[in-house]
Amino acid sequence: MQSARLFGLLMALLCVGPTAAQQVPVIEKSLSNGLRLLMVPRHDEPTIAGGWVAHVGSANERPGITGIAHLFEHMMFKGTPTIGTKDAEKDRQIMAEQDRVREAMRVEEAKVRAAYRRGEIDDWQKPEHQTPRWRELNQRFQELIRQQRELLVKNEFDRIYTAQGGSGMNAFTSKDLTAYFITVPANKLELWMWMESERLYRPVFREFYAERDVVYEERRLRVEATPLGKFEEAFESMVWKAHPYHWPIIGWPSDVASISKAEADAFYATYYAPQNLTAILVGDFQPDTAVALAERYFGRIPRGSQAAPEVITLEPPQPAEQRMLAEADTNPRVDVVWQSVPFQHRDGYALQVLAQVLNGRTGRLYKRLVLDRQLATSAYASQDSMKWGGLFGISAEVREPRTPAELEQAIYEVLEELKKQEVPAEELQKVKNNFAAAEYRKLTSNTAILFQLIFNDGLGDWREINEAGAKIQAVTAADVQRVARKYLTRENRTVALYHRKAGTPAPATAAVPK
Amino acid sequence: MMRRYLAVLLMALAVGPLGAADAIPDRPEKLQFPPLQYEPPKAADYRVVLSQGTVAYLAPDRALPLVNIVVLLRGGSYLEPAGKAGLADLTGYLLARGGTTQRRAEDLEERLAFLAANLNSSLGDVRGSVSLNLLSKDVDEGLRLLREVLATPRFQEDKLALRKQQLLQSLKERNDESATIESYQSSFLAYGEDFFLNWHMTEASLASITREDLLAFHQRWVHPANFILAVSGDFDREEMKKKLETLLAGWPHQGDKAPPPPAEYRMAEPGIYLTEKDVNQGRVQILLPGVRRGDPDLIASQVMNHILGGGGFTSRIMNRVRSDEGLAYSAGTRLSPGVYYRGLFQAGFQTKSRTVAYATSIVLEEMRRITTEPVSEQELETAKRAFIDTFPRQFATKAQIVSALADEELTGRYFTDPDWFEKYRARVAAVTREDVQRVAQRLLKPERAVILVVGHKPDILLGHPQHPVALKDLSRGPMVDLPLRDPLTMKPLPLN
Repeated sequence: MQSARLFGLLMALLCVGPTAAQQVPVIEKSLSNGLRLLMVPRHDEPTIAGGWVAHVGSANERPGITGIAHLFEHMMFKGTPTIGTKDAEKDRQIMAEQDRVREAMRVEEAKVRAAYRRGEIDDWQKPEHQTPRWRELNQRFQELIRQQRELLVKNEFDRIYTAQGGSGMNAFTSKDLTAYFITVPANKLELWMWMESERLYRPVFREFYAERDVVYEERRLRVEATPLGKFEEAFESMVWKAHPYHWPIIGWPSDVASISKAEADAFYATYYAPQNLTAILVGDFQPDTAVALAERYFGRIPRGSQAAPEVITLEPPQPAEQRMLAEADTNPRVDVVWQSVPFQHRDGYALQVLAQVLNGRTGRLYKRLVLDRQLATSAYASQDSMKWGGLFGISAEVREPRTPAELEQAIYEVLEELKKQEVPAEELQKVKNNFAAAEYRKLTSNTAILFQLIFNDGLGDWREINEAGAKIQAVTAADVQRVARKYLTRENRTVALYHRKAGTPAPATAAVPK
Repeated sequence: MMRRYLAVLLMALAVGPLGAADAIPDRPEKLQFPPLQYEPPKAADYRVVLSQGTVAYLAPDRALPLVNIVVLLRGGSYLEPAGKAGLADLTGYLLARGGTTQRRAEDLEERLAFLAANLNSSLGDVRGSVSLNLLSKDVDEGLRLLREVLATPRFQEDKLALRKQQLLQSLKERNDESATIESYQSSFLAYGEDFFLNWHMTEASLASITREDLLAFHQRWVHPANFILAVSGDFDREEMKKKLETLLAGWPHQGDKAPPPPAEYRMAEPGIYLTEKDVNQGRVQILLPGVRRGDPDLIASQVMNHILGGGGFTSRIMNRVRSDEGLAYSAGTRLSPGVYYRGLFQAGFQTKSRTVAYATSIVLEEMRRITTEPVSEQELETAKRAFIDTFPRQFATKAQIVSALADEELTGRYFTDPDWFEKYRARVAAVTREDVQRVAQRLLKPERAVILVVGHKPDILLGHPQHPVALKDLSRGPMVDLPLRDPLTMKPLPLN
């Protein structure tokens, strides 16, 4: 190691520099209705990255309406009384009639599900199994859709932004939060205020039923028609047995297909009240102007009558190891997760450091499993701290012709080594140096800063982006050893071993000659 | 004059929102915005020619203690000798990952990791890059390592063997996912078997590649005559210029200047091509020849494509296939101009098996409609504003500025159209409805379309009781069963 001589010097340099230097200068304001506003003025480029977080995700759902937080995210782009239609009143009447017809169709859909439970049909989604009455109602419904289309101004919400230079408009839903974001030219701050407050103030959920179908196609795209989607979904449900993280963000198929408009309305009233929201602006604007505009635009939204209910259910300690043996269209692989800790838990920092001791081309997993023992082609560890719970995970692809079982054992041997012996000082410093440099790298663009604020505020506290760095640097080798011993136990883990499904055209081959 | 007007408006905006009595307008069109002046970066402000003749673009930016150095490489897989598909990929990857003559790969990795420096390298179809991002205090050591990696890579045998194994295993997954199948099948249909984009890695080609092949490929193509540099971050311009001279001085080998990539290919005959994959959602791609970068219709065609399917939620295809009918999560078109060869027009979406035919018929209908009737003024204006107002975003950071300018240099547009950025917005503004219809007629010929469908054939052919459309009626060409390829040889597999 030629670096040994330099090591002391570098360590000195790195320990003082990067921990305190790059605080993100966030200005926080609360509006009179409880909505919080976070601002980071930056004048490098003539744009503003704007977003807002609703403190709701799939964890706030219940069986029967799983997927509603995500479906709702889609509905937030459908406009308002003045955006998206030529005649708000007539549009409202048609929609009310649509809802009545769909309620009658729900009764028919329940009959199909009952026939499925009795085994009379093998697929409740096949169009051929719809009842005659359902088809009749559907004709009426399609007629209402045609009437509504006469009045629709298609995707007007998007068009207004696009025509004013907005870009990258999108949204996402996670287990804990829902976020909406866009970048606008620096002179369009008031447009952002108008548009975002308007859709929060009086959204109209038009085209609800078509959008439900869109979300179902999204489910097919991500889960059902991919090699690993359904396995990963099942695996996650094994990991979380009691906690609402148990169901997928996109929802169970039965639920996505039948969420009602009334359920969506109730959801909006509960979770999209201003006291459950945080607006975030990063870029070229004056904070005073932004606060005044926010009070004027967002301030008009009335405070919700009740606080959003907390997620109460805690995952009970796992009594025994759980395993899934999967045959799939994939190279053989191993996934192991352990129940660990949520966002801002004091052990989270040592677990993050532990993950990085394992990661990268100089990390323990790569050195031991890929290079030395040649059991894997790749391996990766992560600590995923969510709002209500967390997981520590290791994933690796098997190097053929070795087996998933061999690789799994080798992963545990790497971890045993970490439980037995503290990580040497230089190895720990290498990991900390990378965390320190990441403190700078995270500040390279408006959008990057916006997303960090979205995630951290959504998980409970935006201040974490300025506080985590020092906590990571304070982690000791003893801390890393302690959390490895505490969390990475046999009882606490859920394991998936993947084998290639027989009969898929991937002939076995000899290893490549050197 | 302009300036005074601007100040007045800015004041109005600063005061405006504070008057609480102001009613919020019912439509956003009623809002007033201050004008936004923006001028794109000029190459001359960043461009330097180093003593070896290599061009570099430099943009100092003292905000963060980081330096970002990107060495763009001319050349790519089109330069591979016959039977050696994968050589460019392996060479590109192992430049940074396979050690240097001065140090073994393990020691290089340890040093980079300790410095928290990101050093990555890759070679693609027509270009490659070696990039280094590190703390500015380490820039001298970083540049020494970069020089070793570029000039004297070791291509360590064990790292080569490992990379080959990783690639071989990734080949085995070629038929696992319908999206991957769609990607290789559409490339075969679009460009034909012989075009370099379809020289796929195989088990045999990987096995035949040796360390000597990598060394020879590197010696011939990786040298300053094929480099363009893009450097941004915490440095002094003059000092950095000197450091870059040192980086490139006294190169240990002479090579060839990379020739331009081949430009001629043959698209498949019009028809419907079906590849069986047992999933519950079909993937569809509709292919037609597109445009080259130098085409006088380039900008008009981009505006047309934005309205038809390229503009996300404002585009016609997204509106009809997704919002109206709920048939797909993502639906749209792409018209990527080819730099070296003619690009493609691609329309694509994914929908449940039973509605594949119906959704395809809607997309073809929209392709026809934009050729037969002029687009509305509002659609045209929206598309034009989208291009004009988002234009500054590609220059958002100093790293993006030098990257965009270096790209102009690499692709040659710096020489053929030096005012490209300066004139771009005016050229977009000049596009008319007639232009849009004319380029639509020129490019969109649904009867010539090559339609690829990947999915579960029985359900796809069955169609949907509420939408009586048959797939076979959507093309005058034949319906062809397109076999999967053997993942390790890329030879067609027998049809079941």
